[in-house]
Amino acid sequence: MSTAVKVEHLSKEYRLGVIGNGSLWKDIQSWTAKLQGKPDPWTKINEESRIGKRERFWALKDINFEVQQGERLGIIGRNGAGKSTLLKILSQITAPTEGVVKMRGHVASLLEVGTGFHPEFTGRENIYLNGAILGMSKADIDRNFDEIVAFSEIEPEFIDTPVKRYSSGMYVRLAFAVAAHLNSEILIADEVLAVGDVKFQEKCLGKMKEVSEKQGRTVLFVSHNIGAVRQLCQTGALLDHGKLLMLDNVDKVADEYAKLIGQ
Amino acid sequence: MTSDKETWDVVITPKRMWLGLNLKELRQYKDLITLMIRREFVSVYKQTIFGPLWFVFQPLMSTFLYMFVFGNIAQMGTDEIPQALFYFSGTMLWTFFATTLQKCSDTFINNAGLFGKVYFPRLTMPIAYVTNAFFTLLIQFAVMLVFYVYYLANGVQFSLSWWILTTPIYILQLALLGTGFGIMISALTTKYHDLRNLVSFGLSLLMYATPVVYPISSIPVRWKVLFQFNPVAPVIEMFRYSFFGKGSCNLKMWAYSLIVSVVVFLLGLMTFNHNEQTFVDVV
Ligand SMILES: Nc1ncnc2c1ncn2[C@@H]1O[C@H](COP(=O)(O)OP(=O)(O)O)[C@@H](O)[C@H]1O
Ligand SMILES: [Mg+2]
Repeated sequence: MSTAVKVEHLSKEYRLGVIGNGSLWKDIQSWTAKLQGKPDPWTKINEESRIGKRERFWALKDINFEVQQGERLGIIGRNGAGKSTLLKILSQITAPTEGVVKMRGHVASLLEVGTGFHPEFTGRENIYLNGAILGMSKADIDRNFDEIVAFSEIEPEFIDTPVKRYSSGMYVRLAFAVAAHLNSEILIADEVLAVGDVKFQEKCLGKMKEVSEKQGRTVLFVSHNIGAVRQLCQTGALLDHGKLLMLDNVDKVADEYAKLIGQ
Repeated sequence: MTSDKETWDVVITPKRMWLGLNLKELRQYKDLITLMIRREFVSVYKQTIFGPLWFVFQPLMSTFLYMFVFGNIAQMGTDEIPQALFYFSGTMLWTFFATTLQKCSDTFINNAGLFGKVYFPRLTMPIAYVTNAFFTLLIQFAVMLVFYVYYLANGVQFSLSWWILTTPIYILQLALLGTGFGIMISALTTKYHDLRNLVSFGLSLLMYATPVVYPISSIPVRWKVLFQFNPVAPVIEMFRYSFFGKGSCNLKMWAYSLIVSVVVFLLGLMTFNHNEQTFVDVV
């Protein structure tokens, strides 16, 4: 078995606060004031002390881990621990500040359901659009189209209706159905199961587990729902304040997390 | 770094490319590009009551307006080219350039939600915008040909020149200029939101330093400088010269404009590449 994801010394630094004034006009006024030795007209009183103190901070610091092909890793941690930041780097949405990530196979990331859905487009058109955004080719979607519609439990007569007329439940189900049929080797999912009804969530989890087991797909999964993480994943990673505290069997990690939030 | 073979499909590092056009990756996403073009095209005309007719209606309206204001009231010349053809061709080409520039400059702002959630080559969007503008241009070009034939049938003589064969180059130039300036600005608008207003204002000023509503020949000598630095000006003049045989065919200016087009496009690509992975952190 080979390594699917290898993360080495990964760090991400964010700049806090407003950088500049967000307005060219105001920035020009600030510059001219500076040139004349006058105080910056756009500095807010309480901002002055904050800037310089904590301008930057590390959302992730020196993260190292490997995920084997076919492994399902659950990433857990408190709010602000850096889980989403980690997934965003792995998805190439934002660049790391330091370190390297290497991956084998195509990556599909699901940081939100229905990304890129266009309300004016029909269900059918959105399946193609959303699928393409997530990295599927037209041929892939053609092949899976009927299955996607069936999985979404949307009555076939609605598939050619613009999605702006869908109920929110239908919308979410359709979006999930596309995601469930992604054929990438690595699937990254962030809190996406927080929406949609419980029964449909179960169905999605089941589907994710099934494809992973059958096709040896690697899954990186973030969820606040520890039950879902235990059900889906074998290994767990515990993040806190941007550091990787623990990487072990999912049950051990979940217990450790319970201790952490229990305090 | 030793045990298993170092054959990775994706390697993510902090380094960003300055000048790189990952054509292989863009090709992988060609289905997405096609869908985005369609999405753009459809959402433009779904927003107007005219539907797809909008693409023809808009330049026709401008043409009538210019015929009235510049042709009749201001009595400006058109290099003896029939007014309708003169204004229509100018508007059509200018709109292609200006729309591309404006749409591209909003790339990050208009797609912040999408870019923050999913990775695909960011250039997909500018490519969709320029292609979309190109299709619009094609439709309008067909309308221009209808005018053309109408005037021919009514006995107007056009001295077609061999330059007509370089028409694709004119279009390419406008595409490079529009996209290049647009993506260059898009990198800045993520920091300065008020730049958007400046862009539309700048474009409407620039239109009057471009031979859209009057030919270069009618410009007083002391104002010609304005036109000399404008890379869009020679393209429109050359286009008219090719099709109608009138107007200035200044090869030196055209060569200058060609070079500027390529340079602007490359600079745009550099700033765009540099910005595409960090902008998510600041919006
Ligand atoms: N674009 C950003 N700019 C500045 N700080 C950010 C940005 N995105 C996230 N953060 C900060 O980074 C930390 C980690 O965030 P995140 O990865 O979203 O945490 P989690 O998903 O684990 O709740 C948080 O403190 C958050 O406020
Ligand atoms: Mg999060």
